[in-house]
Amino acid sequence: MMHSEVIDVEDNTPTVKTIYFEWKQEAKPGQFIMAWVPGTGEIPISLSSTDTIKSITVKSYGPASDAITKLKRGSRIFFRGPYGRPFSTVSGPALLIGGGSGMASLRPLITKDTDAIVSARTAAELLFSDRIMGGKLFEVTDDGSAGIRGNPIDALSTIDLEKYKMTYVCGPEIMLKKVFDFLNRSQIRAEFAMERLMKCGIGVCDSCSVDGFQLCRDGSIFSIEELRGMTEFGRTKLTESGKRIYLNY
Amino acid sequence: MNRLNTQISGIRLDNPFILASGILDENGYTMKRVLDEGAAAVVTKSIGISERSGYRTPVVVEIDGRNMINAIGLANPGIDNFGEEMKIARESMKPVIGSVFGSTAEEFAQLSMKMEAYGASAIELNLSCPHVKGFGQEVGSDPDLVESIVGEVKRSVKIPVFAKLSPNISDMLEIAKAAEKADAYVLINTVKAMAIDIYARMPVLSNSFGGLSGPCIKPVGIRYVYEVKRETGKEIIGVGGIRTGEDALEYIMAGASCVEIGTAVHSDGRDIFKKLSLETGNIMKSEKIESIGEIIGAAIRR
Repeated sequence: MMHSEVIDVEDNTPTVKTIYFEWKQEAKPGQFIMAWVPGTGEIPISLSSTDTIKSITVKSYGPASDAITKLKRGSRIFFRGPYGRPFSTVSGPALLIGGGSGMASLRPLITKDTDAIVSARTAAELLFSDRIMGGKLFEVTDDGSAGIRGNPIDALSTIDLEKYKMTYVCGPEIMLKKVFDFLNRSQIRAEFAMERLMKCGIGVCDSCSVDGFQLCRDGSIFSIEELRGMTEFGRTKLTESGKRIYLNY
Repeated sequence: MNRLNTQISGIRLDNPFILASGILDENGYTMKRVLDEGAAAVVTKSIGISERSGYRTPVVVEIDGRNMINAIGLANPGIDNFGEEMKIARESMKPVIGSVFGSTAEEFAQLSMKMEAYGASAIELNLSCPHVKGFGQEVGSDPDLVESIVGEVKRSVKIPVFAKLSPNISDMLEIAKAAEKADAYVLINTVKAMAIDIYARMPVLSNSFGGLSGPCIKPVGIRYVYEVKRETGKEIIGVGGIRTGEDALEYIMAGASCVEIGTAVHSDGRDIFKKLSLETGNIMKSEKIESIGEIIGAAIRR
């Protein structure tokens, strides 16, 4: 287990914070760490900055993530990693499609050449839309409080996708599946960051597997071609006990 | 016939390498993939009567990239929810061995019958998990209870029954003798251990204690396989720290008929199965060993 000191904490939305810490380790967009809160728990979190100063962007959803959002400047942060296969990097125009806190792992991909569809439930929950520099920004909210009312497909269907060298997608599986189904008809290149319950992070416990691939090792980034062959994607997943449940989309 | 072919209790194996219980064996699709990628058989995650979520994280500690300590806490969906995973895994057409844990002979028998009905090729009795109260090693260190569990399960199913024993007891031979009705022994389970983070001033695992696995426990496993084989003559599945062809042959010469692979999946990835078959085959060829069978227990001195 490694540790570092928190050098800054940033409020991004009413429920999301970004924790900055120094870590010289090389890491790439799409990779993640297992962040440990001693006495509370350990959770996988994508790196939202991958330079010498690293960051994680966290929404409180359980005891460990809640404790991480309460870290202050000067607090110690414990972690191991980086883990996972990163996004492929391309030169030229790219499109980011982020749902909710899914924008966190897409943030390191932002350049002057990236357009973005940033979606959330409400205007207040739109994450990192203020970081899109130069490229076009499409905001989408469930309730219409900002941008287009609806889901990312409503924005996607108005865009000419041919000009992008790559489309990067991260968000809840229901969103990934919708975007996948939409893009699947085209020939465009796309990569998706998947999410599953994860326990070990090192490719042994089988909690995060999809079609026999371990998200923590073979993913969590998969290309659209890889997803095409997966029977579990958008259909079933295992709970903490290993019980198979069906995703009702 | 391929020189890597072997068998355990009449179950034919393409090669001596079986996926160990607790590693990549909760999801049927994963077991199927591991089999398709070169494992001769898989052992399922240990399954109990009722659903358990296991311990909260951290559930593993990595040590130097090759060894690890784990305390998953017998997370499992319960036997009634495991049929679909067995069905998916069995699409590979290779043997799937059902691992079960319980606290009484009746529970073990009930679980084993359900595993048999799901199409398991054999039963592996978890008498050795080192980190859950009331199960595993606590059950497996009581010779009378072990004798009644093995006896009851043997009476209840037709498929072979393997007893997986713990190194965390003073006299494994006593337990091995208590389990002598089993068709084979599986030696060894993990070694009870812990790791402390000095900067957090506390154990890393949420359960504090866990089971140590990886190359560091191989000499312990070799010793138990050797000793139990020499004293009982029974078939043995060796497990503990195997990540090269040399490691596998060492276990086989100590008395194992085949071996299970766990932590090496962490250090080397799922490719480990192909790598082990290749390495083992090459060594056998250069050492002029024609079959696994001719070297089982070859190192034993009486």
